[in-house]
Amino acid sequence: MKQKNLFFAGFRGMAPILTGVIPFGAVMGTVFFNAKLSLAQSLGMDFVVYAGAAQLAAVDLMSKHAGYLVVVITGLIINLRFLLYSAALSPVLQRSSFLVKIFSAYSLTDQAYALMSANEHKLKNAEEATQFYLGATVSMILTWHSSVIAGYIFGNFAPPSLSLDFAVPLSFAALVIPTIKNKTYLFVAIFSSLASLLLHSLPYKMGLMVTALLSIALATFLTRKKPTHD
Amino acid sequence: MIEPSYFWTNVLFLAIGTIAIRGTFIIMSSRIKISDRWRQIFSFIPAAILPAFVAPAVFYNEGHQAWLWGKERFFVLIFATAICYYTRSTVATIAFGLAALYFLNVSS
Repeated sequence: MKQKNLFFAGFRGMAPILTGVIPFGAVMGTVFFNAKLSLAQSLGMDFVVYAGAAQLAAVDLMSKHAGYLVVVITGLIINLRFLLYSAALSPVLQRSSFLVKIFSAYSLTDQAYALMSANEHKLKNAEEATQFYLGATVSMILTWHSSVIAGYIFGNFAPPSLSLDFAVPLSFAALVIPTIKNKTYLFVAIFSSLASLLLHSLPYKMGLMVTALLSIALATFLTRKKPTHD
Repeated sequence: MIEPSYFWTNVLFLAIGTIAIRGTFIIMSSRIKISDRWRQIFSFIPAAILPAFVAPAVFYNEGHQAWLWGKERFFVLIFATAICYYTRSTVATIAFGLAALYFLNVSS
């Protein structure tokens, strides 16, 4: 009963974040349609890859007839950030069944990971965290595919005057705040903001990944054990 | 026109590569012991990566408000972050941010 509640807590917790997901899905659906892909092809890609930013880049490159290596490598470079989330989730999912692990990996997104980490202090143990995470990913999967289908059929339906794309940075800002536990975390977050601005022009959106790695290196350095002189 | 065989080959390799990236650490987790030191480093991942999504998205956005140098998204985000810090509410943060940007845009 309790665990079921946590699944729904994760499911419901995604609600405000979805304001940024729906317009992104609508853009994805519109891009599929404009590239003259069939609805079956679009949904096929959407289900097996399930990574919006990489799909946008891949569809763009495919409509320009780029080589296989260019399409696949570009998409995978954009997805490299999932390696970090996967590492961060590994202690949580350590004791889960193989099926739960595979599903958690497949459904891993920026939003679901960020929501779980923002709520980590409220989740008592790994089982609770897993239920919460699964609720978040199911909510994300349903919303994403529905908005992609709607975008494919109706075109980009998000009213431009509402600037709903702004909900994406807003939700990431709201989700990072609870993880800032002390000044070291704050310092790392400020470093990450500044580094990402300086590295923004790197190709293949690599600025994001390079910034993340530099920030983690900084965190590792700041939290190192000071050598004791005895 | 994107050739179906070309399309599906790309999709197949993207799918395999993506699940490998997403899955490796999670699948391996039961075989390795994750030390407290690693857990500590992993706890910095949100602070290391989420600001790198936010900062370029708001700073390099060219808005329409001359009196804010076209940087209204940047200023709204700063206020929204402060609201989030005090309210700890994702709903309040996103609602305030979207409403503030909407009113700034209609007032131009």
